[in-house]
Amino acid sequence: MPGVEATETHLPRHSCRVLEISGIPSAVGEVGEGAPVVFLHGAGRLGGTAWAETLADEYRVVLPVHPGFGDSGDDPTIDSIHDYVLHYLDLFDELGLERFHLIGHSLGGYLAASFAVEHAARLASLVLVSPAGLLVPEAPTVDMFRIPPQDVLGYLTDRPERYGDPDAPPDVDQLVERYRESTTVAQLFWERNFDLKLARWLHRVKVPTLLLWGEKDRLVPAAQAPRWLELLPDARLEVVPGAGHLVLGESVDAPAIIRRFLAEHPQA
Amino acid sequence: MLSADELQFYFMHFMPYADRPADESDSVWVDYSNSHYDPGVGKRYYERYVDEMVLADRLGFDGLVVNEHHSSPYSTMPSCTVMASTLVALTGRAKICIFGTPVNLTYPNRLAEEYAMLDVMSGGRTELAFPLGTGMEYWSNANEIAPATARARYREALDVIRQAWTTDGPTTYSGRYYNYRYLNVWPKPFQQPHPKLYIMGSGSPGTIDLAAELGFGYSVTFIPITQQLAAFDRYRAKVTEAGGTPRADSLILGVMAYVADTDEEALEEGRQHILFYFNNMMRTTPRYLAPPGYVELGEYRRRIERMLTQGVHGNTDWETLTKLSRVVCGSPDTVANAIAGWVRDAGSSRVICHLHLGDMPHWKTVKNLTLFAEEVLPRVRRLIGSDAARAIGARAAGEDAAAVGGMHAGR
Repeated sequence: MPGVEATETHLPRHSCRVLEISGIPSAVGEVGEGAPVVFLHGAGRLGGTAWAETLADEYRVVLPVHPGFGDSGDDPTIDSIHDYVLHYLDLFDELGLERFHLIGHSLGGYLAASFAVEHAARLASLVLVSPAGLLVPEAPTVDMFRIPPQDVLGYLTDRPERYGDPDAPPDVDQLVERYRESTTVAQLFWERNFDLKLARWLHRVKVPTLLLWGEKDRLVPAAQAPRWLELLPDARLEVVPGAGHLVLGESVDAPAIIRRFLAEHPQA
Repeated sequence: MLSADELQFYFMHFMPYADRPADESDSVWVDYSNSHYDPGVGKRYYERYVDEMVLADRLGFDGLVVNEHHSSPYSTMPSCTVMASTLVALTGRAKICIFGTPVNLTYPNRLAEEYAMLDVMSGGRTELAFPLGTGMEYWSNANEIAPATARARYREALDVIRQAWTTDGPTTYSGRYYNYRYLNVWPKPFQQPHPKLYIMGSGSPGTIDLAAELGFGYSVTFIPITQQLAAFDRYRAKVTEAGGTPRADSLILGVMAYVADTDEEALEEGRQHILFYFNNMMRTTPRYLAPPGYVELGEYRRRIERMLTQGVHGNTDWETLTKLSRVVCGSPDTVANAIAGWVRDAGSSRVICHLHLGDMPHWKTVKNLTLFAEEVLPRVRRLIGSDAARAIGARAAGEDAAAVGGMHAGR
């Protein structure tokens, strides 16, 4: 299928095209060549994907944009995590991706874990970075819909200055896009920000799994990790000291840890 | 042309909880703590407000309007059917206008039952309007009702209620949000097949079109005059387009008024409470006004642009308010002239009168209601009546002229 030029600002150095996937314009960035690695972004996309460049010398990194975000189109009938799983099955068919490494961050981690529950056989490995989706009563994920906009950044990072000038005048386009993306997230998380059934089925993820967490994550606390380790059959944990929720962009160690993990699990 | 006889005036009460400390909170909705609520004070408010509604009935107002909001001192009527039930029991003449419960925030069969109960209990005195509910209501009701689905749920819930009232049961209903194996509402409304129905809107084209499509009336919330008039024009055009004839009693407009012997006295006594309403009761954040998915992106963009230029609720000044909206403080003549003009412009024969606002004390509300009923209403009727007389005169004169012209042309 022919792709069209896209203007995905988060992917400055990647090739980016927009594919039509069962009626939904779906933006897909790509960088590098080699064994395929798919990255599923989180709800905010604030951290960007520049870190993925560090894998490009050895891997084909595929960076799709979820429906309802950025240059991808909206489809109000995509309103459950399972719908996203099915959308990605369509997308992976289109890209000819049979077997690959899957990385997901935050909301994307929840999506990656859900994909793995149903399709573990297609994964060479799984990396869950500060994954959402699990109910851990003693260290719950913060309900972002309860957080006033001016406080949101504080939950994502210790270094808000890296993400723009808070005193800059509001940009209408940006505010509208943020409302659009929050509507997309609300389709999944308005009722609750976890999946009651996820814990019941994580035993099906029979694939080497890396859990990666920022030590100071205020949104999805690293204290949830033990529960994931208990439920996942083949997982290990790496905690990045000092990093917050946007651990991939904030610490050079994080991509390096992922790189080492991928190397341990070459394509079968 | 309206006739004075068709004009009806409804007294509407928000029943606010005004007894609270001055504060700088961003919002008095959703997260404004109920630690500020004192049930003892609340009981006195209910007694007082119900007295005011009953007085309005005795003074000859044609309707008593209740509505509902949640988690805010703006209104202490989170269930307007509860209050309507009290009014049914304590009044005997005025219509009970339930304007109303957001049908998508409850089960539509249950609302069909409650409204039918009230209509039967009152011997057919109810009128009903269906609001979508403000954005704020979605933050403080069950999370399972996502704001992104509000409009679709609303539409479906209206279908359920209409089916429940227009087709004898048991029937079935199969929808995306509501499914009924046995839809069979007992009791049925006293007014058959149902009371007069309105859609409550704030000027959104989609809502106006829906009212016209369903054959409902359209009652508009308190938005600026130009937006109200545009909404009414659209409604009439849509009804006409569908082959109907727009009726003056299908459009309800709202006015805020305070009456005293002189303009000066009315301003002195009334203005502060109306401003209190706008600046202290309506104060909330853009986030609460528009939860994710509650408005379409185009509408959201318009709102953001408006907010960036005009600010949000909470900094209303009197001059702007009285210029843009149907707000008047004055002598009976001043208020009557203003209202007659608004009614003429709107072509509507139903007027919601907000005569208690904000922290207005009981004595002022009683004074305002009494003067409005005894001094303003007769004047408005006279003004509209003389319009009609003039119009009949003008039409007669016009017909003569046309007849003469015709004769000339004929020659």
